[in-house]
Amino acid sequence: MRHAVIVLLALTVGFAVPPAAQAGEAIKLGMAAAISGGSAASGEAIKRGLTIAMDEVNARGGLLGGRKLELVIRDDEGNPAKGVTIARELIEREKVVATFGGLHSTVALAQVPVWHELKSPYMGVWAAGTNITRNGQNPNYVFRVSANDDYADKLLVRYTVDTLKKTKPGLLIENTAWGQSNEAGLTKWLGEKKVKNVGIEKFNWNDPDMSPQLLRLKNAGADVVILVGNAPEAAQVVKSQAKIGWTVPMVSHWGVSGGRFAELTGELSDGVVFFQTYSFFGKQNERGQHVLKALKDKYGVKGPEEITAPVGVANAYDGLHLVALAIQQAGSTEGPKVRDALENLKVEYRGLIKNYKPPFTSEQHDALTDEDYVLVVWRGGKILPLAMK
Amino acid sequence: MIVQLVVAGLALGSMYGLVALGYHITWVTSRTMNFAQGTAVMAGAVVAYGCYVGLGWPLVPSLVVTLLALALYGVLIERIAVYRFFRAASPAWLLSTIACGIIAENAAMLAFGKDARAFPSALTQKPILIGGAGFYPQELLIPAVGLVLVGVVQLFYHRTSYGKQLKAVAWNAEAASLMGIHIPRAVMFAYGLSAVLAAVAGVLLAPVLNVSATMGTIIGLKAFAVAIIGGLTSAPGIIVAGLGYGVTESLVAGYLSTGAREIVGFGLVILVLIVRPWGLLGARPARRV
Repeated sequence: MRHAVIVLLALTVGFAVPPAAQAGEAIKLGMAAAISGGSAASGEAIKRGLTIAMDEVNARGGLLGGRKLELVIRDDEGNPAKGVTIARELIEREKVVATFGGLHSTVALAQVPVWHELKSPYMGVWAAGTNITRNGQNPNYVFRVSANDDYADKLLVRYTVDTLKKTKPGLLIENTAWGQSNEAGLTKWLGEKKVKNVGIEKFNWNDPDMSPQLLRLKNAGADVVILVGNAPEAAQVVKSQAKIGWTVPMVSHWGVSGGRFAELTGELSDGVVFFQTYSFFGKQNERGQHVLKALKDKYGVKGPEEITAPVGVANAYDGLHLVALAIQQAGSTEGPKVRDALENLKVEYRGLIKNYKPPFTSEQHDALTDEDYVLVVWRGGKILPLAMK
Repeated sequence: MIVQLVVAGLALGSMYGLVALGYHITWVTSRTMNFAQGTAVMAGAVVAYGCYVGLGWPLVPSLVVTLLALALYGVLIERIAVYRFFRAASPAWLLSTIACGIIAENAAMLAFGKDARAFPSALTQKPILIGGAGFYPQELLIPAVGLVLVGVVQLFYHRTSYGKQLKAVAWNAEAASLMGIHIPRAVMFAYGLSAVLAAVAGVLLAPVLNVSATMGTIIGLKAFAVAIIGGLTSAPGIIVAGLGYGVTESLVAGYLSTGAREIVGFGLVILVLIVRPWGLLGARPARRV
């Protein structure tokens, strides 16, 4: 009985102490991403980007008077239901201040209501679904340093129509919610350019042969193919394209950057144009050099060609720094205050991907837009920057 | 365009036929089959990938090891998941073979990961153009090997003594047993052979489809559809149905839409089940009066 009283007392005292008074206690940040299964590489890349940035913040003495950052990682397995469970667990049990997301748009969309209900900021660093940030919530707890399908489609259309001067695009799109989101985006932006697609073809995951779809686009007179798909299916697409001896250019959403696209296609991948939010090839700014060095020292990555899923690393790196700045500005770890600070960040963050000034506003929760994406091309099994215009 | 579609259809169709033949072989000897036949396709491709790419062995030893490993896989399935139910005339093999397949698929995912990998083949490097249609030589090799194998299996059943014994088991197990034929061994052999045929399909398809832990699922399912359409008791029926199914699929995808492909394909299965439940060339069960 006496023990119980002591425990109870201790608990009461523990709760009574305001959070700010607990100096020295680590500030926990959550990471909810796929770290197993087919997309495990994306989770690993995000973890690396977050860790490198976190080490920098901690080396400078942490936040809020010396409190170090600590990362709590949970696996969403690419499964929306699991994603919702771990989102709650991270906030309610682990008491994380903010959470970084993973690759799957389906998971990110399912989690949106949780962030709002529990008033905890979410920083998307991969999943590109348009409605993740444009979710109709007010105040909006969802932020993103990554691509947004809407901007991505705008960029793909601009490159196709303005740079390549193609006027008869054929769309080849995977038969999923992600594909649908892009079908809408591409149609919208092609419409802005007064260009009409000559056909929209769909394919399913694991489809073996894409020649029927390609033949239909070919017969419809397509002079370019805009592709929305992930690596395994995109590989079948370029293989089938070579097979039917059709040589129109292929412009792709960034699905071809993941997985083993180059390995699956060999030299057929050459010339496929897509985009990234960041490229570690070419001249790097100071942060770029630092991140490359950290990747080498910490993970044995010898150079940019060895970074699997570079966008995950870069987005997560900048995302973490932005959250750290927001916590510092808010002077608090409370969700609503950190959220407000993210939306009104006073300091300019000279980041890896760009100078964020400011990253977010109350209307704009995507820090990156099509102006920031880099067009790249597969060449000899490597992702190289493509000089536009 | 039509040549293109027909050749692609024949290539895939002949593989459906080959895998479906596996259902036929075990069905006629034991009235059971391995519902996870698709995983044998996958296992064949994965083992071949492991030997050929992973360990860097030359092609021929890799193939020999693959076929032996898959024969063993078939026998194991029979021992673990079929034999006792076959003896007890219980339909529990239906579930137990599916369970084995799921275990095999997940084991492959653990060992191999979920990513698809490229299986290098000299025959998928450069497409050849014939009459405006392009093919990878591999796509021509697939139906050729498929049809030759079907011929070999047919010869084995009709011309060799052991093949005739197996046929006898199929006709009347009790009588065959009385004639001194070892039934358990015959069933084991059938399962081994059936897995080997699936493995051949897996290895042939690997350069075209890439290797992944889930590559066999759909093929196994469609092969089952083919076996039903052709008639589980008729090897020639199954081959005809396989080729027909592959070509139909390809033409529907090419001229209608890829969305309509599975609808038409599996619609055919329902139609056959209603009109000719014993399959196109299957033996019509005698009516007892």
